Amino acid sequence: MSAQKKKAFQIEAFKHRVVVDPKYAEKTWKILEHAIHEIYNHNASGLSFEELYRNAYNMVLHKFGEKLYSGLVTTMTSHLKAISSSIEAAQGGLFLDELNRKWAEHNKAMQMIRDILMYMDRTFIPNTHKTPVHELGLNLWRDVVIHSSAVQTRLQAILLENVRRERSGEVIDRGLMRSISKMLMDLGPSVYQDDFEKHFLEVSADFYRLESQDFIESCDCGEYLKKAERRLNEEIERVSHYLDAKSEVKITNVVEKEMIENHMHRLVQMENSGLVNMIVDEKYEDLGRMYCLFRRVPNGLVLVRDVMTSYIRDTGKQLVTDPERLKDPVDFVQHLLDLKDKYDKIITSAFSNDKTFQNALNSSFEYFMNLNSRSPEFISLFVDDKLRKGLRGVTEEDVELVLDKVMMLFRYLQEKDVFEKYYKQHLAKRLLSGKTVSEDAERSLIVKLKTECGYQFTSKLEGMFTDMKTSQDTMQGFSARHGADIADGPMLSVQVLTTGSWPTQPITTCNLPAEIRGMCEKFRNYYLGTHTGRRLSWQTNMGTADLKATFGKGQKHELNVSTYQMCVLMLFNNADRLSYKEIEQPTEIPASDLKRCLQSLACVKGKNVLRKEPMSKDIADTDTFLFNDKFTSKFFKVKIGTVAAQRESEPENQETRQRVEEDRKPQIEAAIVRIMKARRVLDHNNIVAEVTKQLQSRFLPNPVVIKKRIESLIEREFLERDKGDRKLYRYLA
Amino acid sequence: MHKLGRGHRDKVQQFMTITGASEKIALQALKASDWHLEGAFDFFYSQPHIKSYTDTTRLEELYNRYKDPYTDMILVDGITLLCNDLQVDPQDIIMLVVSWHMKASTMCEYSKEEFFIGLQALGIDSLEKFRERIPFMRSELKDEQKFHEIYNFAFGWAKEKGQKSLALDTAIGMWQLLFAEKQWPLVDHWCQFLQARHNKAISRDTWSQLLEFARTIDPALSNYDAEGAWPYLIDEFVEYMNENGIIQNGQFSDRSQK
Repeated sequence: MSAQKKKAFQIEAFKHRVVVDPKYAEKTWKILEHAIHEIYNHNASGLSFEELYRNAYNMVLHKFGEKLYSGLVTTMTSHLKAISSSIEAAQGGLFLDELNRKWAEHNKAMQMIRDILMYMDRTFIPNTHKTPVHELGLNLWRDVVIHSSAVQTRLQAILLENVRRERSGEVIDRGLMRSISKMLMDLGPSVYQDDFEKHFLEVSADFYRLESQDFIESCDCGEYLKKAERRLNEEIERVSHYLDAKSEVKITNVVEKEMIENHMHRLVQMENSGLVNMIVDEKYEDLGRMYCLFRRVPNGLVLVRDVMTSYIRDTGKQLVTDPERLKDPVDFVQHLLDLKDKYDKIITSAFSNDKTFQNALNSSFEYFMNLNSRSPEFISLFVDDKLRKGLRGVTEEDVELVLDKVMMLFRYLQEKDVFEKYYKQHLAKRLLSGKTVSEDAERSLIVKLKTECGYQFTSKLEGMFTDMKTSQDTMQGFSARHGADIADGPMLSVQVLTTGSWPTQPITTCNLPAEIRGMCEKFRNYYLGTHTGRRLSWQTNMGTADLKATFGKGQKHELNVSTYQMCVLMLFNNADRLSYKEIEQPTEIPASDLKRCLQSLACVKGKNVLRKEPMSKDIADTDTFLFNDKFTSKFFKVKIGTVAAQRESEPENQETRQRVEEDRKPQIEAAIVRIMKARRVLDHNNIVAEVTKQLQSRFLPNPVVIKKRIESLIEREFLERDKGDRKLYRYLA
Repeated sequence: MHKLGRGHRDKVQQFMTITGASEKIALQALKASDWHLEGAFDFFYSQPHIKSYTDTTRLEELYNRYKDPYTDMILVDGITLLCNDLQVDPQDIIMLVVSWHMKASTMCEYSKEEFFIGLQALGIDSLEKFRERIPFMRSELKDEQKFHEIYNFAFGWAKEKGQKSLALDTAIGMWQLLFAEKQWPLVDHWCQFLQARHNKAISRDTWSQLLEFARTIDPALSNYDAEGAWPYLIDEFVEYMNENGIIQNGQFSDRSQK
């Protein structure tokens, strides 16, 4: 081999001219035309694919593509016209069948024709931007067959009729429907929509409009919703079986609009079966169904929520303003808790825990609970009752459950500082009378309050517990020191209370009996001996005493009484008969307290260790009291003291309110000063907003009160008004 | 002087009478203020070196006439005598203006210092001059700015020494006096309201804010803004006016005879 460059091996076309006989094109076309006929006449088996392909190829090659193409169009069109007629001729139910069959055949034919004409499809057609063969086939089918006036109207009518029949419960040929649907979809998205879907939706809207009107007159809400749900599911199923998937959302919108949206209000407000009735009767299934259905329409859930909210608010308002209900605070609060449970259950089980509903519930409770200014007091009384006896024997987890629920109600209170005041009072009574069911439960609640409101809220409460513990230690020390010499006298048990932590008490006078006085002095000296610089004062209105009493026939009883009552009873050791004045003088107990205490000693059945003359219910200054030697009781231990926490009387309530208002003033001032110190200059409205924000975890400050406090601070030269803008305040360092 | 027009000549004459200044000064002041008497006075008094010379000895004489025999102060008797000499009623508001010039700390007494300061500021060293100054002092009350200062001064002056607030009765008296000068249609209602509903002393803030209120809010209370950071007492007053039908729909329908 030489080292020359190798030439690429080339094949060259024939150099001689191939003469194309014009008659050649015509001849070739005739062959192809004939083939198409045969294909349409189901005689394709006799054809040679290779030959036909070559013919088509040659035609295109020799620039006869145009002739081929237009020939194809003409031939196919005439065939399709024939097919169209035969379909039109089909009677009634066979129409769809015929159409479907012809369509299948057409597709098969198209495939073969396209294979034959593939060269044209790939070269001539793209070059001349003509419609490709397959698409051409579809377009021709569409234009000649489907859109022929007779076929078009009949097709639409039959399809819709089938749907109608199925809706009224008949069974139809779904497979056939599916094929026809698919055909329409294949013919182009607008064909399916314009020829079928559009009308389908219209007709369905009419259908459901009528049906819903009919249902709403004849069914109650629950039944109606069931029917609506069923229809909805039906439509979804229908689409999945024989319609375009994209139709699903459109048809469901139609059903939702006609069956639900248009009748929304009527359904919800339906008498005896509407939303409110469902709530009252706890129809969880119906409520759940309503939620699912209404969720689908705009503002559906808003409506449900609004109706529910106003119902809760109204019933809540009634509850808190009903004087019957308010007589028993514990019952009242329990009722609130039950109500909350009920609604919680509805929201979790029927409204799939929807946050917006939860919020609506919370705001409703907040609204009506704060309509009654005594709510804080009542909640504290409820807790008091539970911690005193209600939670006896309850497991730790259940205790936690109850306390958590109470905390939920607590959170709704706007006046948390009022609650604090009452809670302190009630806790003090519980601790001092030793009547708490479980110290753990007490502590647990304190922790919860601390988590909710911060350290400041609970620091004093915790101080109370500490005092109790310290007092125990003190008593131990006292007995240890004086053990011997006090063994004969009355047994003393002292709690030393730090003034700041415990609720403030009015100072009362009371002369203790001689027997007690000596003991008290001993304790005082002992205590002051170990704690210098402190001052002790006996709180005679908070103590208790156990007395051993012997009555006329020798019956012995142990009487558990208050300190005041003890002072009164001890007098009867020296006299059988005493007038009111003779009791008042030596004891120096204030009149209203004395009367109350005498009432429990003389006027209560089963506890009347004293007799009163005259035998009236009330205590008068002129009454006389006698030792009741005929007293009997089933129990050895008789409890006469009145130390339990009770619902305050109106005047007491007013007093507490006043004290709370007084307490709030310095808090508001402190907040104002804090804010102004940081901001230096601030306008009136902003101060009010900031103060409200800062204090909202304790109470809702009244803007008028805030204004007064600002003026007081201006007076005391903490603040001044800006010289230019009178609405602006400046901090004076 | 003969070169001036009639009107201007009169003004010069007036100016000289009131201030006791010379013709030259008078012309200067009036020209500077474009021949407005008010402005001329301001001009005159704000120029310390033009101030009238006051004879200290004569001031001393004057002071001794009025001072209390036992203390180095002018007390009630002295003031009464002064008022007689001036031929004004002791309740006349002019005494407030005088006290203001003196920067007197409290009513019904003037210290020597206060007496001197005040009279010097007014260019007075004789009773004659004092009497002459009275119209001028009355005119000061018509000046918005000065009235403001005098009004605010009145609070500190009228209250008891050592107290922070002004007793209600005194306050009402002062208000009646002051608002006779600067007309405020609601003054009587305000005083009635206070006596009916408040019955406590008046704070400085409330006092000064009331002037603002009288100045800016119309008698029908139509432009009263509840969010306007007015002292709460004024808020309550508005409420009172609305409650008692005195203000209805922003119309002042005062049924009481004035």
